[in-house]
Amino acid sequence: MEALSYFASSWIHPELLALTALGTFLGIYVGAIPGLSVTMAVSILISFTFSWDVNNALCLMVGIYMGGVYGGSRTAILLNIPGAPSAIATALDGYPMAQRGEAGQAIGLSTVMSVIGGFVGIIVLAVAAPTVSEFAIKFQPRDYLMLGLLGILLVGSLSGESLSKGIFAGALGILIGTVGLDPMTAEERFTFGVVELWNGINPVAVMIGMFGIAEALNQLHHLDKTAVKQKVDKIIPSWKDIKKYLPLSLQSSSIGVVVGSLPGTGGDIAALMAYDQAKRSTRNPEVPFGKGAREGLIAPEAANNAAVGGAYIPMLTLGIPGDAVTAVFIGALFIHGLNPGPMLLTEKPEMFWFTVGNLTLANIFVLIFGLTGIKLFTKIVEMPKGILIPLIFLLSIVGAYAINNSIADIWWMLGFGVLGYFMKLYGYQVGPVILGVILSRLIDENWRRAIMSERGEIDSLFVNLFASPLSVTLFCIICLVFISQTPIWTRWLKPRLIRS
Amino acid sequence: MSVDIMTIPKKPGETLFGFLMLALSLLLFWQSWKIAGFSSLSSAGVLPLAASGLMVISCVIALVDDFRRPSHDGEWHEFFQHVLPLTVALMIAVIFLFAIMLDTVGFIITAFLFLFGSIQLLHRRGIGKSLLIAAVALVLVYLVFRIIFVVVLPEGIIPEQDMLSAITAWLE
Amino acid sequence: MKKFLATTLAALSLIAGQANAAEYPTKDIQGVIMWGAGGSTDTVMRSVTPHVEKLLGADVIMTNKTGGVGAIATKYVFTRKADGYTLLMGAENPQMYKVLGLAPIDYSDMIPISILARGTPIMVASNDAPYNNMQELIDYVKANPGKVKAGSTGQGGMASIVMSMLQSQVKLDTTTIPYDGDGPALTALQGGAIDIMPAVLGAAIEHVKAGRMKVIGLIDVDANPLLPNVTPITETLPGLKSMLPWGPFFGVFVKAGTPANIVSKLSDAFNAGAQTDDFKALMAQRGYTVMGISGDTAKTFLESYRSVSSWLVYDAGFAKQSPDKFGIKRPQ
Repeated sequence: MEALSYFASSWIHPELLALTALGTFLGIYVGAIPGLSVTMAVSILISFTFSWDVNNALCLMVGIYMGGVYGGSRTAILLNIPGAPSAIATALDGYPMAQRGEAGQAIGLSTVMSVIGGFVGIIVLAVAAPTVSEFAIKFQPRDYLMLGLLGILLVGSLSGESLSKGIFAGALGILIGTVGLDPMTAEERFTFGVVELWNGINPVAVMIGMFGIAEALNQLHHLDKTAVKQKVDKIIPSWKDIKKYLPLSLQSSSIGVVVGSLPGTGGDIAALMAYDQAKRSTRNPEVPFGKGAREGLIAPEAANNAAVGGAYIPMLTLGIPGDAVTAVFIGALFIHGLNPGPMLLTEKPEMFWFTVGNLTLANIFVLIFGLTGIKLFTKIVEMPKGILIPLIFLLSIVGAYAINNSIADIWWMLGFGVLGYFMKLYGYQVGPVILGVILSRLIDENWRRAIMSERGEIDSLFVNLFASPLSVTLFCIICLVFISQTPIWTRWLKPRLIRS
Repeated sequence: MSVDIMTIPKKPGETLFGFLMLALSLLLFWQSWKIAGFSSLSSAGVLPLAASGLMVISCVIALVDDFRRPSHDGEWHEFFQHVLPLTVALMIAVIFLFAIMLDTVGFIITAFLFLFGSIQLLHRRGIGKSLLIAAVALVLVYLVFRIIFVVVLPEGIIPEQDMLSAITAWLE
Repeated sequence: MKKFLATTLAALSLIAGQANAAEYPTKDIQGVIMWGAGGSTDTVMRSVTPHVEKLLGADVIMTNKTGGVGAIATKYVFTRKADGYTLLMGAENPQMYKVLGLAPIDYSDMIPISILARGTPIMVASNDAPYNNMQELIDYVKANPGKVKAGSTGQGGMASIVMSMLQSQVKLDTTTIPYDGDGPALTALQGGAIDIMPAVLGAAIEHVKAGRMKVIGLIDVDANPLLPNVTPITETLPGLKSMLPWGPFFGVFVKAGTPANIVSKLSDAFNAGAQTDDFKALMAQRGYTVMGISGDTAKTFLESYRSVSSWLVYDAGFAKQSPDKFGIKRPQ
């Protein structure tokens, strides 16, 4: 009963309700605009809400978080510029949908699926937080390494016509991710003595360049073509469709919650893994993946919003952030005089149910704001290309600058934009590059930690791997996924299995 | 469902690009080697070596594939027609100019010139219309980034920050 | 039109241009935080600044400029005008830049506005570890060389310096595993990936209170009120007395050459901000010691930190340059 009153407190106080709504609304735009990140917005709010009551501040921030993760899909669908790395997979099929005149349906579907994903995350947070967080912190470096390798196998799904070019692109991405001062030994890698390169190349700059700039340059070929007329009926998906895709969205959401709850991985990796899983498990998509498959839009959108609830799990129970945003939340709680940590729920049990209730509320606002004004947004795609393309360039440049207030990021963004343009024309997909950039650090650091833990002996790494049930499970999944992508499977095993 | 790559004709310049990428891969492999060599399995150079090695191998395979694919290229004008038409080359030059000017001249002027110029170039309607669109878009971008999200854009020759403080002081 | 614009611009810049040192501040001040959002430096700066804004009567716009262990932010502030409108909000890291070869500048090339607070390093261990204090740890490591996995935050980070401090007194064979910060390392400690971790008290205190890890050593000369049952390390290793107290700190700096009256105005504001009840309560709760010092006191403090750390790192063999080269004296 007490829990219920805490749960409902942000629903019944008009001020808290309004702040959550405002936060969610702002968050959608923060998420949608490339270069503006939820992490950045929430940390600006920390100083802004310094003198506020803690609950008011939290409502605004939770709204921004929930709205922001969802908002990344907007620009991904409309302009092929993912608003945040967690929306990369969304662009792969969302943008082709918009190019076919289905931008409205894509936004409608992604909204509903994001909300379903969000609820799955919240429910897991509410009922199983302590169990999940104890499970999550048990992940050893070798387990993170295997998660990273599992992610990199996605190259197989993202390669397009030529697998060798896909592997090239993925490896290039991994290499881009290693640029800078090595975080473990402070050795310089590919910095050529330039201080600006110490911090590495920001994944968001690569992303804006390879998706936004490269596509805008490509669109210049079709300047004279009039934009596709957007269908604006049936924007809100029908019950039939929702029911049809529910199993997929629940499956993607579970991936989202688990990957989101791990302290070393977040919504971006969750979304990509869910995309891969959807591609492998969907037998006969109406439209092929990469060409505007609805399944390819649903999976990452459900997963990245489910990862929000997931990220809260270790934060609320153990004071360990599940991602970059929850790390800032911990700072905010601290500034407001709370002690974020494993004692939080003992000292302030009301915090837990207040947050769960508030997340639920923010998720409802995502549904409301997400489904309003879609028609207006689809107009963006219908704008004359001669106006739209310069605007995309400007937004990309300002967005790249905003990441870290640095001109250098603009240069990287432009460089990778031009490279991406040629790569796409010559049959190299840019998806694997971004995948590599995102996973590079996870793989690099955890490989080295795993080896260091065994003092450089690779055989004891395997001995310990097979002694842990979790590691063995992950190892088996990797092997299965790998085999399913090799010729042995497609030519020999699969036909036999299907026949039997 | 996938098309056989061997049947897709090459685009002009595709083989050359493949060789450029191979050169890049080899350069990066050499750079990776310089980080730590094969000193230990957990050194900073292990992943770069593995990744750049993979780049070299996959690049060679892709090149071999490319040689077996039907060729389409011949004339350079094909390249400038299908791969790098004038508008694309021009826009690449313009955005690079934007980035160069941004730091010294400042955001407001550079962005305005860029928007006006490129809309004029690509949209080809009246000057007045281009001016209006450029101004409205710029005001929106400035409001969202500078005012709402406090991204301090390079101010260049316009003493923007002083002006903003003067305006706030005057408003108060 | 053009002429109108030009005159307006001129008029506006004239109003703003009247700004001189006496009227400081006449516009927003930019605060550059060298660590990322949500980190301890970020948190400390964002909790002190609202008080400072009130005292100065100007907004302080804070941006996180991360990278190169803070060297990018430090160099950035160094390229700005010495007019007091760009502040470096940082931690202890720049004091190691010279010996680690990361940058040719450190805090001795800047003016300290205020050293706000400092932290106390402690040694934590996982709950099921068979040692409960430093002596037992030392004995255990000697009996089982290579068995104990120690977390670290990279070479030159606080954990590596604490380990070098121990190494300077007694040879220990541990396996070092680096993490991206003390947060991730403390998580790994709870998951069993590492066994011990030198961490700042503030980062570990909540986990310790909850019984998720145990404190086995206090790297200080005096006992700490938050850890009444832990004896200071100098009782086990008296040789460390010359190096302690030592610990990470948070401070605000401006470029050298900033007019003295601006420096004193800023120092007054930040020191007063550090002494507000809000800030003090916050720091106490997390085990940070509020300092709020500036001028020569701050310079002495900074120099002592630099000398102890630089020589430790140099003796441990991972410095790129000798501290002698920069005139850094060995601690007495």
